[in-house]
Amino acid sequence: MFLQQLNPSLKALTIMVFIIFLATIFEPITPLLFLIWTVLITFLFGKVSWKKYLLYFSPFFIFALGMLWTSIAFADPPINPDEAINILSWSLPTENVLTALALALRVLNVAALSLLFVFTTNIVHFILSMMQQLKLPPRIAYAVLAGYRFLPMIRDELKIIHDAHLIRGVNQAKTPKEKMQNYKRYAIPLLASAIRKAERTAIAMESKGFTGDKNRSFYRQFTIGKLDFIFPLIMLIGFATAFFVSKQLGF
Amino acid sequence: MKSWRFKEIVVMAALAVVFGVVYLAFLPVGGVLAGLMGPIGYDFIFGIWFIVSIIAAYIIQKPGAAFLSETIAAMIEVLLGNAVGPMLIVSGMIQGIGAEAVFAATRWRNYSTWVLMAAGMGSAVTSFIYGYFMSGFAALATGYVAAMFVVRLLSGALIAGLLGKALSEGLASTGVLSSFALGKQQRKKNAA
Repeated sequence: MFLQQLNPSLKALTIMVFIIFLATIFEPITPLLFLIWTVLITFLFGKVSWKKYLLYFSPFFIFALGMLWTSIAFADPPINPDEAINILSWSLPTENVLTALALALRVLNVAALSLLFVFTTNIVHFILSMMQQLKLPPRIAYAVLAGYRFLPMIRDELKIIHDAHLIRGVNQAKTPKEKMQNYKRYAIPLLASAIRKAERTAIAMESKGFTGDKNRSFYRQFTIGKLDFIFPLIMLIGFATAFFVSKQLGF
Repeated sequence: MKSWRFKEIVVMAALAVVFGVVYLAFLPVGGVLAGLMGPIGYDFIFGIWFIVSIIAAYIIQKPGAAFLSETIAAMIEVLLGNAVGPMLIVSGMIQGIGAEAVFAATRWRNYSTWVLMAAGMGSAVTSFIYGYFMSGFAALATGYVAAMFVVRLLSGALIAGLLGKALSEGLASTGVLSSFALGKQQRKKNAA
């Protein structure tokens, strides 16, 4: 449960730094080992449900597979074309296969890092912490949080527009093509009502004294303590070890 | 930030929510296309992810609208439960910068069709540079990468630029934008 208690902003910055580190790696061993490390940390310190994790993780496998085969098929010409490995009776340059594996594993590792954050963070707390630790202007932070609250209203609005069209007899879509055309008809009324709601919300917030002043008080305070720095440290140990092992293996 | 009315910021957030849902809906579409064709699959529909920049900039017509709206949209996408996580905010900012740079080049005065299309392409350029670095396109053959870039530019110009313009004008004609720059312009045009 340790990951849930970390400061959201610092946790996010840590994740971003390691994603940028990964972008500099073009061999498969570092991302493979760091991927294992990331997943391990997620389950050891995050108390994340296996089923939910796999459900979110699986789409990235499709993307990683796409990355794998295109990186082989459309690879840069290899420096040593003589070194080749055989996969399913195809002879492929070793170099290209390794780079393709590296890129596919990078996709999976970035996904694992992102899921670590998403599954252990209350995103509303993340926005509030961004305002307190990362100097996000309150006017933007509260506009984002207000916007988030529009979501259920927008769902209701869509139903209302749908019914209104039905009453007037213009909404008997059956084929997928007709349904697409329906969405075209929904777009403008939906956006128009969202804008009206936003205007009213802004006026309501300002009339109740919201000025967007930076020197405001917060009901939920977020701070960065010594404990928060353990997480970047753990991740750095994992990354450094992975990097060192891959160098030892000659990559 | 001082020249912004709070109303305008919340309206950007409302647009961001509607398109946040659209953006999320297109992620698996891109994923399937990418599974079939490799990373170029995303490029065909990439323009959809720039559309908020174009709409907000065209409606509000203030410096920073393209950048702020795309950043807000990214934050809302993270709130809506996107598995891409905090890095999405960075990519949103980078997309916003591309469109903003084009509007800045006209000193935020020209919002003609060509400028809107160029702004969509501006987002395509910055997002491509970012993707080139983050996804390691450097390891791919030059021809394939060039094809990805051209497809993304077209997608930015057509989906973000043209569709964004059409949606904004459709909205203006309903009258909800009467207190925004685009609504005022349309009213003047109709009066004349």
